[in-house]
Amino acid sequence: MTPAGSGWTGWLEATAAATAMRQSLWLYPIVEILHIIGFVVLVGSAAMFDLRLLGLSRQLPVTGMERHLLTWARASVLLIVPTGGLMFIAHANEFAGNPAFRLKLLFLVLAALNAALFHLRPFRQVAGWDQGTRAPLAARVAACLSLVLWTGVIACGRLLAYF
Amino acid sequence: MPMRTALAVALLVFTAGVAPVAAHHGWSGYDSTKELTLTGTIKESGYEHPHGHVRLEVPGKIWLVVLAPPTRMESRGLSASKLRIGNKATVVGYPHRSNEEEMRAERITVDGATVELR
Repeated sequence: MTPAGSGWTGWLEATAAATAMRQSLWLYPIVEILHIIGFVVLVGSAAMFDLRLLGLSRQLPVTGMERHLLTWARASVLLIVPTGGLMFIAHANEFAGNPAFRLKLLFLVLAALNAALFHLRPFRQVAGWDQGTRAPLAARVAACLSLVLWTGVIACGRLLAYF
Repeated sequence: MPMRTALAVALLVFTAGVAPVAAHHGWSGYDSTKELTLTGTIKESGYEHPHGHVRLEVPGKIWLVVLAPPTRMESRGLSASKLRIGNKATVVGYPHRSNEEEMRAERITVDGATVELR
């Protein structure tokens, strides 16, 4: 839609990058594709790690999976955030008032907090449950929360277009 | 963060100041049982992502007509120049369920050519 925003959202919509996002024929779909590739890596890695915490493939060391998967998950943020930002500024006013967008941001913050808490607490003692055994309850709870929150982020992201 | 605080924050963020900006992307927001055919003059147009639009002046009203993504319009021969201000257009489409100024066009006829938009 035509930008109608005032204030900070209107300012964002008037930037050259936002205008290019709306008016250039292929930029918007290219940015969408890169955003999707990014979050497929992020959520895919997180989900595979979560399933390991929940007890699948216990013969694989948690530390090894963390090093491999979560390195990619962190790197993917470099693709996801700039592309998401570009889509946001193209229609900042509309997104800022969109309930699905607000809920998506909330889920994102909670997912990040959950990941940070996991690394600060149960993962510190990973040596004791690295391989062949059950992960502690706190780790399994974090894994469940992660699966639920990331599913919520994706659902809200898709539902943005329907609210 | 304790669960109760988290829920309170969730509720607040979810409901606080939800601007009355109806977004309108899927077809489900439009009432397909009420097909409209409008002929008028283009007062404004946007050849923009994610959907192009025109403001179409018909007797007594200016409609916001939501079109298709620019890439689709371009590939079907509806170039930006055809949506120029002052040009005549006929659109067939459906009214928005809650915003009575807005409709989504199934097809548009402009400069003698009809282009399907879905």
